[in-house]
Amino acid sequence: MKPLSGVRICDFAWAMAAPAATRYLADFGAHVVRIEPHNRYDAARTQPPFLNDRPGPENSAMWSNCDAGKYSIVLDLARPAARTIALDLVRWAGVVVESFSPGTMRKWELDYESLRPMVPGLIMLGSSLMGQNGPMADYAGWGYMGAAMAGFHQVTGWPDRDPSGPFHSYTDYVVPRMTATALLAAIDYRRRTGEGQYIDFSQVEAAIHFLAPAYLDLNVNGHAMPAMGNRDLNFAPHGVYRCRGEDRWIAIVCENDNQWKALCQTMERAAQDDPRFDSPANRLAHAEELDCIVNAWTCTMEPHRAEALLQSAGVPASVVQTSSDLSRDPQLAHRRHFVALEHPLHGTIFAESSSIRLSRARGSVQRAAPTLGGDAQYILSGILGYSEERIAELAADGALG
Amino acid sequence: MAADSIQGKPPLTGYRVLDLCDERGLLCGQMMADLGADVVVVEPPGGSPVRRLAPFYDNRPDPNASLYWWAYNRNKRGVTLDLGAAEGRAILFQLLTSADFLVESAPAGLMESLGLGYAEAARRNPALIYVSITPFGQSGPKANWASSDLVAMAAGGPLALTGDDDRPPLRVSVPQAYLHAAADGAFGAMIALFDRVRTGHGQQVDVSAQESVTIATQAGALAAHFNATAFRRHRGGLRLGILENQIIWPAKDGHVTMAVAFGANAGPFMVSLQKFLHRQSQLPEASPELKALEPMLGQPEWPQQERERIIAAIRSFTANRTKAELMELGMRNGVLIGSLETLSDVAASPQLKERGYWRSLEHPELGRAVSYPGPFAAFSSTPIVYRRRPPLIGEHNREIYLDELGLSATRMRELQDLGII
Repeated sequence: MKPLSGVRICDFAWAMAAPAATRYLADFGAHVVRIEPHNRYDAARTQPPFLNDRPGPENSAMWSNCDAGKYSIVLDLARPAARTIALDLVRWAGVVVESFSPGTMRKWELDYESLRPMVPGLIMLGSSLMGQNGPMADYAGWGYMGAAMAGFHQVTGWPDRDPSGPFHSYTDYVVPRMTATALLAAIDYRRRTGEGQYIDFSQVEAAIHFLAPAYLDLNVNGHAMPAMGNRDLNFAPHGVYRCRGEDRWIAIVCENDNQWKALCQTMERAAQDDPRFDSPANRLAHAEELDCIVNAWTCTMEPHRAEALLQSAGVPASVVQTSSDLSRDPQLAHRRHFVALEHPLHGTIFAESSSIRLSRARGSVQRAAPTLGGDAQYILSGILGYSEERIAELAADGALG
Repeated sequence: MAADSIQGKPPLTGYRVLDLCDERGLLCGQMMADLGADVVVVEPPGGSPVRRLAPFYDNRPDPNASLYWWAYNRNKRGVTLDLGAAEGRAILFQLLTSADFLVESAPAGLMESLGLGYAEAARRNPALIYVSITPFGQSGPKANWASSDLVAMAAGGPLALTGDDDRPPLRVSVPQAYLHAAADGAFGAMIALFDRVRTGHGQQVDVSAQESVTIATQAGALAAHFNATAFRRHRGGLRLGILENQIIWPAKDGHVTMAVAFGANAGPFMVSLQKFLHRQSQLPEASPELKALEPMLGQPEWPQQERERIIAAIRSFTANRTKAELMELGMRNGVLIGSLETLSDVAASPQLKERGYWRSLEHPELGRAVSYPGPFAAFSSTPIVYRRRPPLIGEHNREIYLDELGLSATRMRELQDLGII
């Protein structure tokens, strides 16, 4: 038995922000049925990396990560028969997650107000970019737009250039664990009181918490934090420095005097006696010179060699790891971060583990992300108990896409 | 707690959390506090080192004025306690007996060396859920590595993908890595709670920041395992192996984001954008660059060799319009265009205003209210409530040690004299 054994989720979610949340729940034992639309692929199925660089709906690593452990059925929700199946799944689950543009579920009469009278104690979470109401509620989009709308670009870039922004759909990476936490809190509340509820989850509103110090600075001091490259408000040196090799880099930070002294010893530089650098405040004031000194050393070094020397001296440092570095990282191997899973088409496919390890309970990804509609038979017969005749009728009707 | 005493209150009302974190974990306790748990943040006498982190209220480096502290301690109560002293640990053990959760972010092994590790805590309260947030996890070859936000972002993969290709990899200027890890900590705490409901036992939840941030590569971390071309950072866009996107464009008053894809598999994403640009190119006011592109706009896939010309033409289109005009055009034409909002834009957003997002908390010692980022989720029956501004140093010592733990006033004075409280 896993911690979430008994938790069931009817998952209409799409792309990454909400599906990654239900994926984590599946890791820990939740039974998650994923309803996929008949007329377009889930966005995660269409995004690289693809197995052997071959695009295809069953080949995406993003799909593998976001949907491992779930069961898939394809439904054409415009058809009444499909809607009946969806309703049966909602009744079975008692928990619904969706991330369509606000209003879409209403169109199918699968919104909270329609479902609630039919499903006592229903918990439903609607995840959207901007929330379910307000002048921009209809503003649907990807996580890179969420990142832009939450303000991340202003604080990610070089002072002399256009904003760089965080990598890609950043709010999609911030919010899944907040979504999962909110959902579990609501399920526990239902356990204690019997009451379900609706959760309006705005990805932008949640993600703003990752910029809270900057927003407080703006709200109380009127100061809009600028992008600072890799500089830090509190510490120097604090940067990413070039190493030997093609596009190889190392991140190095000194948060206190001891780390600074250890860095100087490692670099075999007498800079620790330099009065410009003799206190945290002085080092911050001379961050530019420090960057030059550190860079002059690192660019002669092979990155992993520099990392080993610095870590053995107690200086915070890491090679800027690429996918290839990550695949060989001994710490990730120790935590079994990359998990090989059986796959009906590919034999084996990989997915990444969550960051959580429990000392007592089991919880890890055990089933590859489903093929498109690949679990229809199991869902209709095994979960809903439909007869073979009924399933054949549904297929003939077109309800199953 | 009886069902009717929590009815309508935030969903975790009735649970108690001891929060021993520094900046590496404070968001975990705050999420639980927002959700209604009674979270007591335990600081060393004199205050948490987090209180020395900038930015500061009014730019004065006062430990009660660190905005970093404010950002992640709302809705908590605060006590001081010296966990390095035996008397301090004895009090923590007393606090432990009534706690459901303990959250800590000490370097791996430190809590054990203080006699406060999970095994010791579980001996005193077997139902306790003990959440440990560290850079690399509790064990393994890097468990004792020196770390920081930048180091965790480098070790977990997102740093390599962020920034301009002709400059070093780049971080977000507001440290992110431990927020990812702390949010995972809250989720892990909930998982363990469900397990406790089933079994009656608590357990340790071990979170690695390195693993937490791998999510921010959008599966780019898996490229090697998928025998796929690695993602790389790219100025103004994305290089997702075989798929390339230009996503940042100038506007008259700032920048917008709009994905223009090149390379294999780009076609399906570009249909509505191509139609849209085609219509724009036929308008009399279209720029010469965009007009010149017209014959190409009907093609299903844009030739890679025309990349620079296409980018220049689209820039000529976006640079002459404001962010609001471009978003409006996008919404009307089914093309995804987002404004790169400045922090000030977000603070003044009509959307957030209409939803009542920003929440005000009184800071009586400053004689003013402060506006905080609002609830991270809107619950229909059990809304998140902002009940308390972040605690001052030792603000709830009396309330918790005298009234709740039942220490005598004499004992409390002794402990204060010893520097334990």
